Amino acid sequence: MSQLNITSHSEIVHFPKDGKPALGQNEWQVWSGSQDEGGLPDLEHGAHKVLVPFTWWLEHHHEADVIVKAKNGQIGVWFAADDDILKHADVIEAGKTVWPLVAAHFPIFRDGRSFSTAALLRGRFAWQGEIRAIGDVLIDQLLQGARVGFDSFALRPDQKLDVALKQFDLYSVTTQNSWRGSRTTRATLSV
Amino acid sequence: MYKYDAIDQTLVDQRVAQFRDQVARRLDGSLAEEEFRPLRLQNGLYHQRHAYMLRVAIPYGLFSSKQLRTLALISEKYDRGYGHFTTRQNIQYNWVTLEDTPDILAELAKVEMHAIQTSGNCIRNITSDAFAGVAGDEYVDTRPICELLRQWSTLHPEFAHLPRKFKFAVNGAKEDRTVLLCHDVGIELKKSSASELTADIYAGGGMGRTPILGSLIKRDLPWNVLPSYLTALLRVYNRFGRRDNLYKARIKILVKALGPEEFARQVEGEWDHIKNSDDNFTQAEWDRVAQHFTKPAYKALPALSNEQVINLATEVEKAAFARWLERNVKPHQISGYASVILSLKPHGTVAPGDATTAQMYAIADLADHYSFGELRATHEQNLVLADVEQSKLYELWQEAKKQKVSLPNIGLLTDIIACPGGDFCSLANAKSLPIAKAIQERFDDLDYLFDLGDISLNISGCINSCGHHHVGNIGVLGVDKDGEEWYQITLGGEQGNDAAIGKVIGPSFYADEIPDVITNVINTYVAQRNSDEPFIETYRRVGVTPFKDAAYKNAKKNEKVEKVIDGGTA
Repeated sequence: MSQLNITSHSEIVHFPKDGKPALGQNEWQVWSGSQDEGGLPDLEHGAHKVLVPFTWWLEHHHEADVIVKAKNGQIGVWFAADDDILKHADVIEAGKTVWPLVAAHFPIFRDGRSFSTAALLRGRFAWQGEIRAIGDVLIDQLLQGARVGFDSFALRPDQKLDVALKQFDLYSVTTQNSWRGSRTTRATLSV
Repeated sequence: MYKYDAIDQTLVDQRVAQFRDQVARRLDGSLAEEEFRPLRLQNGLYHQRHAYMLRVAIPYGLFSSKQLRTLALISEKYDRGYGHFTTRQNIQYNWVTLEDTPDILAELAKVEMHAIQTSGNCIRNITSDAFAGVAGDEYVDTRPICELLRQWSTLHPEFAHLPRKFKFAVNGAKEDRTVLLCHDVGIELKKSSASELTADIYAGGGMGRTPILGSLIKRDLPWNVLPSYLTALLRVYNRFGRRDNLYKARIKILVKALGPEEFARQVEGEWDHIKNSDDNFTQAEWDRVAQHFTKPAYKALPALSNEQVINLATEVEKAAFARWLERNVKPHQISGYASVILSLKPHGTVAPGDATTAQMYAIADLADHYSFGELRATHEQNLVLADVEQSKLYELWQEAKKQKVSLPNIGLLTDIIACPGGDFCSLANAKSLPIAKAIQERFDDLDYLFDLGDISLNISGCINSCGHHHVGNIGVLGVDKDGEEWYQITLGGEQGNDAAIGKVIGPSFYADEIPDVITNVINTYVAQRNSDEPFIETYRRVGVTPFKDAAYKNAKKNEKVEKVIDGGTA
């Protein structure tokens, strides 16, 4: 991974599929997989749950304590922008039963690969749980993210939450389908 | 032509509000320039050498007199009294301010226009044949599909930050007037034997630093599944297109690296999962859109012969009028009608493709009087009145003369395609416009131009190739060498059905040498041609050597050996 930006705002923007945008505390620590000598950060004494890199999960998901912690809601995974999730469809299918949360990473805001990752997780894998946008997440990506399948957003720390919350109602119409619904242009015709 | 419904109108109005807020955040400093840049580009706003430039979409080239009047108004109120029509069916304003841009977009929204995705790393304005719906050689009227694709691509969330810009062209006629194979995706529409509308998909074409012609990756795709197929194609590109190197980020590099067969296989693999999805177009959507592209209220008119039309003119004007008929008037599907090209390349013009405020207002009136209030913008940077009664051609010609848009140089050497070049563009290595002007001044004799016949001459101010020099029979490319402006010549490029990428002939020239170089190349053609043989055919028959020898015969200043920029498929 060329660039790793995973610091985030202390508050998370949640936008459930059939709900309204709202703020919540960030309970999840995004772990790069490289610090702590490659071992899981110590969760016993921390208040945080941990999102591990998908590549780390691939190596460690057979370990009993990893599975236990995931099932306890303490471990989720995040996908790097260059992870080819379709190559590991079996692992993702299995993960669907244990992960409390998945995330997709934006190394820089103008790298749109994670939009396709989210679309595939929703469309191909039918992942029903939360998908969080992490990394270089800026206010002006929220609308696109919300439409491809993200329903929570760990904004970059400098982003203004009041401006962020207003993004989701900028448009009342759409001209292509998205995870959130059918295009308005079709909905009005398909009677 | 297409008329916005409430959904389209709401969307462009809300887009104006969104951009107004983004501009306000930029101006109050809460949005950094680096982070504003992709946002403004997706609204067609560039920061140029001297000022901001706004690029407004003319989807598939079709617009109304009312829209042209708004474009004129914007040029008058917010710019410096002109607009520049581009090769991709947009109009650009070179002198707007950031502060005014939201108001300009609001003016555009009032007449069902916008600047959405005219730039940036997203699906750009979709282009098509300027003669769609009227061309005599048309198989399929491309406009309903273009409009459906315009809607599908507008603010598409998954493809808002692609590795690089992404350009579609759609063709439906025997003669390709869209440079189909030089697009990221070329869509060739056809009617099958069962009268089903289908598409052949070409991918991975493009000009720029590494010019490549697109490859056929899918045959006979039913029209209604275009959204799911194109989603699959773009998803493969979004996930695997290179992002490490700006110059290798276009889809053409991915298609070339994988090979067209493997690329097609990957797209097919993705498409298998979504081909039956709700993304696909429905018949109801087609019906809603297609009703806007019915034929206008044509009169039942007899077809006039060329002689009958020429006889409309006075004796003294007959020769000049006949010339205009030959070059600027095209056959039509409907008896008694013709399509007229208004040349935006008068000799000595400031820039090919420019129209002044006054010209825009006047041309809007011409559209109302002669062509059902509709216009087309062409890939060659001219304007078209598509539905003119043959019996009114002489009258129209006289009106066009008053506006200086009647020069009969369509398809001739001085119908130059040129980018704005170093006079405006911050990317350019060299100027384009003075070169175009010098060539037009050198070849100002219409008799001679007519004798030379069809020749395309395209000029780009840098390797990005906005002037499409790779597909000009004669291409001129501005290059920078040690801070000096030089010009490299390519020969043998061609657009249309026999599309070809031109070859670099050798070391580059100083600007003041170019008119002589072009003259020498043209003289070689005249000496070598068989009767009625067009330039490109002579070139293909005799090869590059005599042209190259002629081009360099007087060259004195370029003696030092230099590295030739590869015009091939590096």
